[in-house]
Amino acid sequence: MNDLFDQRPRKLRCGKVLSLAEAISEIRDGDVLMLGAFIDTRRPMAAAYEIVRQQKRGLILLAQCSLAEDVLVGAGCAVAWRGCYTGMGSFGLSPATLRKTEAGEFFPDEIGHLDIIYGAMAAMAGCPFVATRATIGSDVLNDQLNRNEVLRAKAGNQSMIPKKKYEFIDDPFYDQGLVKLLPAMPADVAIIHTPIAGEAGTARISGSLAFDHYFIHAARTVIITTEQIVPEEYLRREPNRNQIPSTAVDMVVEVPWGGHPSQVPGCYDTDISFIRNYEALARSEEGFQKWVKEWVWDIDSRDQYLDKIGALRLEKLRSSTPAMQRPRSTHQKKYTIVKEDGDE
Amino acid sequence: MSKVVSLKEAIGEIKDGDVILTGGIVEDRRPVAAAMEVVRQGKKNLVLIGTCSLCDDIMVGGGCVAAYRGTYTSNGAFGISPNFKRKAEEGSIICDDIGHIDYSIGVMAGMAGVPFIASKTCIGTDVLNPAYDNLGGARSVARNPEVLPKKKYVLMEDPFFDMGTVQLIPAIKLDVCICHVQMVGEEGTVRIDGSLTFDHFAALSARKVIVTAEQVVPESYIRQDPNRNCIPCTSVDMVVELPWGAHPGQVYNFYDMDIPFLQEYAKSCATQEGFDKWAAEWIFNENGHDDYINKLGASRLQKLRAVPPYGYVPRKKGGVK
Amino acid sequence: MTREIAKPGEYSPVEAMVVYAARFLAGFDGKKGLIGTGLPLVATQLAKMTYSPNMIIFVETGQADARPQELPISIMDSRLTYGSSWQMGDPEGLFPLSRNEIDFGFIGGAQIDKYGNVNSTFIGGDYNKPYKRLAGTAGAVDIGVFAKDTVILMAHQKRRIVDFVDYLTTPGWMVKKWPEGTLVRREELGLQGGPSSFISSMGICRFDDTTKIMYLDKYFPGIKPEDVKANTGFDIDVSRATEADPIYTDEIKLLREEIDPLNIYKMR
Repeated sequence: MNDLFDQRPRKLRCGKVLSLAEAISEIRDGDVLMLGAFIDTRRPMAAAYEIVRQQKRGLILLAQCSLAEDVLVGAGCAVAWRGCYTGMGSFGLSPATLRKTEAGEFFPDEIGHLDIIYGAMAAMAGCPFVATRATIGSDVLNDQLNRNEVLRAKAGNQSMIPKKKYEFIDDPFYDQGLVKLLPAMPADVAIIHTPIAGEAGTARISGSLAFDHYFIHAARTVIITTEQIVPEEYLRREPNRNQIPSTAVDMVVEVPWGGHPSQVPGCYDTDISFIRNYEALARSEEGFQKWVKEWVWDIDSRDQYLDKIGALRLEKLRSSTPAMQRPRSTHQKKYTIVKEDGDE
Repeated sequence: MSKVVSLKEAIGEIKDGDVILTGGIVEDRRPVAAAMEVVRQGKKNLVLIGTCSLCDDIMVGGGCVAAYRGTYTSNGAFGISPNFKRKAEEGSIICDDIGHIDYSIGVMAGMAGVPFIASKTCIGTDVLNPAYDNLGGARSVARNPEVLPKKKYVLMEDPFFDMGTVQLIPAIKLDVCICHVQMVGEEGTVRIDGSLTFDHFAALSARKVIVTAEQVVPESYIRQDPNRNCIPCTSVDMVVELPWGAHPGQVYNFYDMDIPFLQEYAKSCATQEGFDKWAAEWIFNENGHDDYINKLGASRLQKLRAVPPYGYVPRKKGGVK
Repeated sequence: MTREIAKPGEYSPVEAMVVYAARFLAGFDGKKGLIGTGLPLVATQLAKMTYSPNMIIFVETGQADARPQELPISIMDSRLTYGSSWQMGDPEGLFPLSRNEIDFGFIGGAQIDKYGNVNSTFIGGDYNKPYKRLAGTAGAVDIGVFAKDTVILMAHQKRRIVDFVDYLTTPGWMVKKWPEGTLVRREELGLQGGPSSFISSMGICRFDDTTKIMYLDKYFPGIKPEDVKANTGFDIDVSRATEADPIYTDEIKLLREEIDPLNIYKMR
């Protein structure tokens, strides 16, 4: 929870543990939103489906438009974004994002990868800006492509978007010459998916933290979705292992397989065929609507989602410790009883 | 490739006039044994960054430090750092105070590779008093002044979020960073228990990083649990195995602080003669740290050993009194 | 069952200061505080055990929601790690301040002046050759700049409560604008927050809404307002002061038997 960029009073709540529907209902149209981790790793997918289900509108996305964000863009929930990546790793480019951007319905504002990190880092430290030479010499700094005003106009809470995208000065300290002043990158909401979390919000991540350990401090409202809620006391026996403190978290939701089809290190692997199926369908409007009907609108509960995927298929994905991922060669050879379209 | 060396060799790499930061903070996980070796080797004109307490104060008493830029000059519960206090009051050490968030942002900027970051951190206070700005003095004694910023700070108006006047805080860069940790791999991967203090940032903004550790373990062992590792081996130059290397301070999960020793230190160092006498007994031994711990004695050290799961010695079990 | 009242003389002035501070912290139950080293740690431990059990404690060394089982000797003490939600480093420990999340900072200091500025850097002489060199800024400067409220704890002695501090470490209500060094209201420099209270070994002081100058709000049992005036280094207004509620024996018992039985903090 970051109170620096948005000082409106907070809602008083008895406890942090909520249902997914309750937690997502806190997101307002026009919110600036960060979804945790990246590409096909530890994405808050269940949360993304719920955002679609609750028909949020006008969201501004940060950092990337990949898988989880692509679903939001395809469903018409997001109107603009500021970030550095519109791909889905080895699955190609983000289909709905590309389609809507080319149609002029979805507005991008390019920044660099380091810009995201520095922006979140500045917000984490309560700093208004950071100096850097990142992106100097590139078209990221082309004023004709600067969409800062668009983002400010579309954001529900204008204080989330800085008054300018950047400024230039000469470094007075170390003779680095021309440097860019990069503003902090706060957000209204950050949603992070973790393997375990305590009921007060302490959470523990295995594998890459991505930007999450900065995002949780850059956002005003932090929602943790987690595979399992465990006793807070258990996590506090080893505080050095916890990357997310309870004090940064507003809401905790238990959502087993909440990262599916992305991988969650320590829990399960990427569901390759699911993502490939999504990518193929989302290239067209009709295909995307078919996909979202099957996986969001016709699904009444998380239980139904899991049963539809199937127990056997999920077991094929389950990780084994200590590698944290299950080598694909083993789980493909062992379970060949059910073969699905697109399965290799 | 193993980076394990002797303490003598590691400290031998430090040059007179180096800008140096010691890890941990106050009584917590300080590289005391390393600092004693710095005194033994007679280093001079060091510029101390961050804080001046315990191991830093030992180096000050030993005549190794010419300037200090930092945020805290106390030994916590054991009074103001005695050698530093004496020299500051004599006017024989250059002193340039900065804030604690200054320090945090400074090492973070160093870690992130950025030249400066803006914050309101010392607005309104005497930290920004031009009459108290002794950065120039520190630069004049540093062997390589380019490691230090050209200015202490610059004020400007925030053009982005209407925060008004903000202070531009330059990155903290270092010639040397010395950390004492619980566990390190032979190639330098570091695992810290308890507070990381600034080590996870400072080690990444130093040209040379020396890690002393309670235990050196096989690199393969420490890499089985990478999420627990705080400093990558790619940022570490030298590794020294040094059990009790932070005594008389605390090392979480290993030992608690030796309060009588800390009290004795505070008393001894009221005068330079007192420090010299104390140093003759505890620092200038033939076999350095080995003699130090033998002198303390196994039974004394045993009483300091931490009790799981707490990481310190619970008082109710009749521990530190 | 009525609580037994302790009489002045049955407890030390430092114990009184700590007990009244713990009571004061009742107003921060459920709120976030950044606690400084020294006696504030004792008062916090007492408050968490009594009037403010849900207070959320932050410490500069990187603990969030610390729940120490034993009284830490300082904020660097390992005793603060076990039971905390996370244990990171000092940057992570301090950034909640600059993110505007901290409801109050709780610090000691060497000098406090009539505007609530606190000095922990040097006393007397010159900065480059001080009469008494002290610990420096530590988190005290950051608490004064960023916390939504600052509460100061200090023994009530004439040489410590002064007209203006020798070095402005923790900004109070009238602060310095650089490079000129002129005295301005803190709001002019865009600083929110500010000190609300100063709890001493004799009473509780607050700051006038208009002049921003310290005045005596409460004096402790056994103390007279004239004593406070005599022990203050500027002409403090004591006309609005009333007597504080008495201390109870169970509070003293808790301090002496549970919290600091070994008298580590030398309160008695």
